[in-house]
Amino acid sequence: MVHRLEMREMTKKYGDFTANDKVSITLDAGEVHAIVGENGAGKTTLMRMLYGMEQPTSGEMVLNGKPVVFRGPDDAIRNGIGMVHQHFMLFGEFSVAENIVIGYEPSKSGFFQRKEAVAKVRELSEQYRIPVDPLARVASCSIGEQQRVEILKVLYQGADIIVLDEPTAVLTPLEVKDLLKTIRHLADSGKSVILITHKLQEVMEVADRITVLRGGKVTGSVAKEETDVDDLARLMVGRELQQLSERLPLDGKPLLQVENLTIRDKQLLLDQVSFTVQHGEIVGIAGVSGNGQSELLQAISGLRTVQEGTVRLGGVDVTNQSVAKIRETGLSHIPEDRYLWGAAKTESVEENALMGYQRKAAYNRRGVIARDAFRRVVQEWVKRFAIKTGSRQLQEQAGNLSGGNLQKLIVARELGHETAFLMAAEPTRGVDIGAMEYIHQALIEKRNSGDGILLVSSELSEILALSDRILVMYKGKIAGELSRAEASEEKISVLMAGGSIHGSSQRAM
Amino acid sequence: MEWLDWSLISSTIRMVTPILLAALGGALCSRVGIFNVGLEGLVLVGAFSAIVGNHFTGSLILAVLIAAAASVLFSLLFSYMTIGLKANEIVVGVAINFLALGLTTFALRAIFDVKGAFYDKDMAGLPRLEIPLLHDIPVVGEIISGHSPLVYLAFLAAILLYIFLYRTVTGFRVLAVGMNPVAARSLGLKATRLQVMAILLCGVLCGVAGAQLSLGQVTMFTEGMTAGRGFIALVAMMMGQSHPLGILASSLLFGFMDALSIRLQGFSLPTQFTSMLPYVLTIAAMFFLKEKNRGASNNQ
Amino acid sequence: MVAVKELCKSLVQPLLAVFIGLLTGAVVIAAVGESIIGTYQELWKGAFGSFYFFSSTLARATPIMLIALGLALAFRAGVFNLGAEGQMVLGAISATLVAIYLPAPGIVKMLAALVTGIAMGGLWSLMAGYMEAKFRIPLLISTLLLNYIAVLFASYLVTEPFQDKGGSAALAQTVMLDKSIWLPKLFAGMSVHAGFLIALAAALLLFWVLRFTPFGYEVKMLGQNPFFAQYGGIQRIKVMLTGMFASGAFAGLAGTVEVLGSHYRFVDGALTVPNFAWTGLMATLLANSNPIGVIFTSILLAAFQTGAMGVERNTEVPLELASVIQAVLILFISAKFSYTWWKQRKKKGGDTHGVA
Repeated sequence: MVHRLEMREMTKKYGDFTANDKVSITLDAGEVHAIVGENGAGKTTLMRMLYGMEQPTSGEMVLNGKPVVFRGPDDAIRNGIGMVHQHFMLFGEFSVAENIVIGYEPSKSGFFQRKEAVAKVRELSEQYRIPVDPLARVASCSIGEQQRVEILKVLYQGADIIVLDEPTAVLTPLEVKDLLKTIRHLADSGKSVILITHKLQEVMEVADRITVLRGGKVTGSVAKEETDVDDLARLMVGRELQQLSERLPLDGKPLLQVENLTIRDKQLLLDQVSFTVQHGEIVGIAGVSGNGQSELLQAISGLRTVQEGTVRLGGVDVTNQSVAKIRETGLSHIPEDRYLWGAAKTESVEENALMGYQRKAAYNRRGVIARDAFRRVVQEWVKRFAIKTGSRQLQEQAGNLSGGNLQKLIVARELGHETAFLMAAEPTRGVDIGAMEYIHQALIEKRNSGDGILLVSSELSEILALSDRILVMYKGKIAGELSRAEASEEKISVLMAGGSIHGSSQRAM
Repeated sequence: MEWLDWSLISSTIRMVTPILLAALGGALCSRVGIFNVGLEGLVLVGAFSAIVGNHFTGSLILAVLIAAAASVLFSLLFSYMTIGLKANEIVVGVAINFLALGLTTFALRAIFDVKGAFYDKDMAGLPRLEIPLLHDIPVVGEIISGHSPLVYLAFLAAILLYIFLYRTVTGFRVLAVGMNPVAARSLGLKATRLQVMAILLCGVLCGVAGAQLSLGQVTMFTEGMTAGRGFIALVAMMMGQSHPLGILASSLLFGFMDALSIRLQGFSLPTQFTSMLPYVLTIAAMFFLKEKNRGASNNQ
Repeated sequence: MVAVKELCKSLVQPLLAVFIGLLTGAVVIAAVGESIIGTYQELWKGAFGSFYFFSSTLARATPIMLIALGLALAFRAGVFNLGAEGQMVLGAISATLVAIYLPAPGIVKMLAALVTGIAMGGLWSLMAGYMEAKFRIPLLISTLLLNYIAVLFASYLVTEPFQDKGGSAALAQTVMLDKSIWLPKLFAGMSVHAGFLIALAAALLLFWVLRFTPFGYEVKMLGQNPFFAQYGGIQRIKVMLTGMFASGAFAGLAGTVEVLGSHYRFVDGALTVPNFAWTGLMATLLANSNPIGVIFTSILLAAFQTGAMGVERNTEVPLELASVIQAVLILFISAKFSYTWWKQRKKKGGDTHGVA
C-alpha cells in the first residue's frame, strides 16, 4: 500500500549530539497523526527536515511512492507540505489576504492583483470553514485568528500535508475546541494533518495515530484506540515521575500584598488586581498567556509602572519603585523568557551568574568585585543543580547551554539571593523533564523553608502540582481563586475561559 | 521678506534633488531591513565619478552613468560585507564613508593633480531643461521649468518607487523581507537576493545624487563636498517613514532649509550660523516626531 | 596556555586586516606609478624613522587614544556615540577660553582648563543622551548633527568675538596661551608632550574600571542585553547617560590636551582636519573596544598618518594613502572574519540551507 508520506529511518546529528535516531513515520490521506514527546525529544528537528529547513544526516523521505529531497522550504511547499510554525511567520503590517497569498501572489505583468487575492481568500475560507477577514491588518488580529491565517496560507499554497507545531499553546480553551474541529474537518476533506504537541488530552481527542518520541528515538507508534493518556505519558518519559517533597503546613503571615493594581496603556491591561502571598505558600496564577500575567509580574518587580493600586513587600510599600530597590527589599525573579530577560547569551556562565551580586557587600572589596569568592559560589550551584556546562565550565558562553541547563542556572542564581519572596514565570517552559524535576523540587523546598512564591504558568499540570492556592487570570482580572483541595483541571479551565463556577470565591484575599 | 521669493523655491527644488535621491536610496535599504549610514560616501563617490566621467568622455550622459556605476560598486562592497559576511551595518557604513573620502581625495590628487577642489571652466554642466509650455506661465514656470534633467528624474524616481513598492509583486516582497526576514525565509522568498537588489538600486540613486551635486549647478568637485547631506538624507528618510511620498515631503523641507541658509548668508549673519541652520532645524524637527522615531534607536 | 591561544586567536583578525590594508595601499601606490617598496619604506621612516618622527607619532596618537577610550566605554555600553568630533572641539574651545581669561596663577589655570574641557565635552554628549532618553531621538543621528553644530559654533567664536586681532593676518584662532599653562614636552625639542602620559593613564584607568568594578560590569551587561540588565536592577538610563557623559568627557579631554600641549591656542580646523575623531573611532573598533588594545591601535593608526606625511614629502604619493589603508582596515575588521569562522565555512560546504 502506498502511503502519502513515509519518513524512513530519519537521522540527524549535530556533531556528537543525535537529535533524531532512525525515526520512521507513515502518513495516509485523511489521517490525523500526532507526534508527541517532551521538550528536546526531537519533534521539531524531525519536522524541520520534512519542511526542508534541515538536511537529514541519513534516511529518506518518500512522497506518494516517490523518494524526495527538499533543499529548502520552497521545495517542500511545491510538493504539498505546509507548515504552521509554533511561532507564527506573519507580516504584521500586511492584511490577512496579503499574508495568505505572499510568495504566490496573483499578478498581471508584475503588478499585484490585490482584489483577486481577496476574492480567492474568501473562497478558500468558505471551502474549509475557516473564518477570517481578508482585509484586516494581521497585527490587530487575535492569536486564534492569526493561526487561522497561517492554516489558510498553507492551504492556499496547495498543501496536502499540513504540519501543526504546538498549535494550542497560545489558545484559549474555546479556540482550542475550534481548532480541533477544523483539524478533523481538514482530515475529512482528504488532507493529512501532522500534529506536534505534548498536550496528551488533545491528542486523544483528535488524533488517529500517535508516534511517541523520546531522546530522538521512537518509543511507540499506536492507534488511538489502543492507548490512553497514562500510557502515552509513560512512553514519553520512560519512567515514573519523581515525587515532590512533602508539604509542610502554612505559616500564615502575609508577605506580598497586592491591592487594586491597575495598568492602563491604550487598554486596561490589569484591572483592580488584588491578592496576597503568605510566608510558606506557593500561589499559582493560571491562565492563557496574554491575560495580564506578564504585566502583573512586571508591575510587582518594578519593570513597569502602574497607574493605580499598591504593592507591599514584607510590609514595605514598593509600588513603582526601581527594580534595584525592590530586589533589595526582598524579591527575586525567574523571568518568563530566559533568553530575552534572564541572560546575556554572548557572555560567560560566570558573568550571567553575577547579575544582582555585583554590588553585594559579600563580593565587594573596596570597590572591586571579588571574583574568586564568587566563582566558588557558582561552582556550588553547578554541583547542586547538576548544570552541564561543557569543557569550558564557568567560562562557557551562556548561549551554548541547553535550555534546561540555562534555566537551572537562572533558578540557582535567583534562589541564591535568598530573598523571602520569589516570582517564577513559566519556570519549566521548554525544559527537559530532568531539569523540570530539579526546579520543582527547589521551589517546594523554598516554600517549606518559610518563603513565599508567586508562580505563573500556562501549564496547568505545573500549577496543580506546586500551588497551595490557585488564582486564575482572565482579561486582566482575577477571575477566581481555588484552594489546592478544591482545584481541578475542569474548574480552572472554565475560569480561564472567562466562565464562573459555583462555590469559588470571586475575589481573592 | 525680500529674501523669500520664487527663485528661492526654484533653488529649493534644485537643492532637494541630491537629498531626495539619497533618501529614496536609503529608504530602499531600510525597507529590506538595512540601515545604510554610508549614503554620504556613496553620494561623494558619485559626485567625484561624475566629474571624472565628464572630463574624460565629454558626454554628460556617460558621466551620470559612470557616477551611478561607481556608487553601485561601493554598494556591492557594502552588501557583501553586511549580508554576505554579516558585519555590523553601521560600522560598514562608516567605513564606506571613510573609504569614499579617502579614495576621492586621493584620486583628486592623483588624476587632476590638485588639492582641495577641481574646477574646469570649460567643462559643461548639466543643461537646463526648459519645458515648452510650462516655461511661459508666470510664477509656476519659473519654479518648475529650467532645471537639470536629474532634478526631474528625482521627482519621477519618487513616484516610480511608490508604484514599485505598493503596486508590484516584487516591491511587495521587498517590503516583506524587511518586515520579517525570518518569515520571508520560511516561505522560501529569496530574501538575500532582494536585499542585495535593494542596496544596489540605492547605489544607483546615490550615484545620480552625486552627479547632480557636482554637475548640476557649478561644475566642480570639492573634497568632502557632500558635507553631511548624506546624513540629512537619512533623517529625511526617517521623517518620511521610508515612504516615497513622505520622503518627498521631508526632502523638500530640508532642501528649503539648505537654500534658505545660503540666501541668508548675504545678510551679515555670521556664515557659521546660517550653515548651522539645516542641522539645528533637523534636530528640532526630530523633537516633533518623537513618537515616530524608529529605526536607528539605540539598543541594537 | 589556553590564555595565550586565546590571545593569538583574537590577534589574527586585526593582523589580517592590517595586511589587507597594506595590500590595498600597495595597489593604490602602483596605480599612481610609484614604487611600492620605496613608498612603504618612506611610510615606516615617517612614523618611526627617527626619534623626532617617533615622538610625532606619539603626539598624534594622544588625542586619538583619548577619543578611542571614550568610544570604547560608549560601545561597551551599547551606545553609538558618533559625536566625538563635536565634543572634542567644544571641550577644546571652552578650555582655551578659560585658560585665557581666568584670573589665576598658571597651574590653577591649567587645571581649570582641563576640568572645563572634560566637563564641556561630557555635557555636549550628555545632551544627546538626554534627547535619546527623554525624546527617543536616535543617538546615531543626534550625535552626528551635533558635531556640525559644535564645530561651526567654535569656528564662529574664533572668527569674531575671540579672535586674535593682534597679528597682521586675520586668522581664525585665539591668542596664544601663556607659557605657564602649557603642558610640558616630554623631551626637549620633540613634539610628544605630557598629554601622552595622561592618555596612557586614562587607558589603564578605564581598563581597571571595566574589568574590576561593579560599574564596569553593569556597562558590559547593558551593552550585551539591555533587557537582562534592566531585569537585574541595572538602571539602564542612568548607565547610558553616565556612559555618554564619560565618553564625551574623554573627547573633551582629547581636545583640551591637544590645545594645551601642541598648539597652545585654539585654531579653527586644527582639530578637525587631522580627523582625530574618526581615527579614534577606528582605533576602538580595531581594538574591539578593549582599553589596552586601544593604546596599540591608536599608535598604529597615528603611525600610518605620520608615515603618510613622510610619504607625501618624499614621493609623489599623496598622504591620503593613509585614509585609504585605514578605511580598508576597518572594513575588514568589521567583518566577522576570523580563523575559526573560515574553518567552519570550509567544513560546512553546502549544508547551510534554510537555517534562518
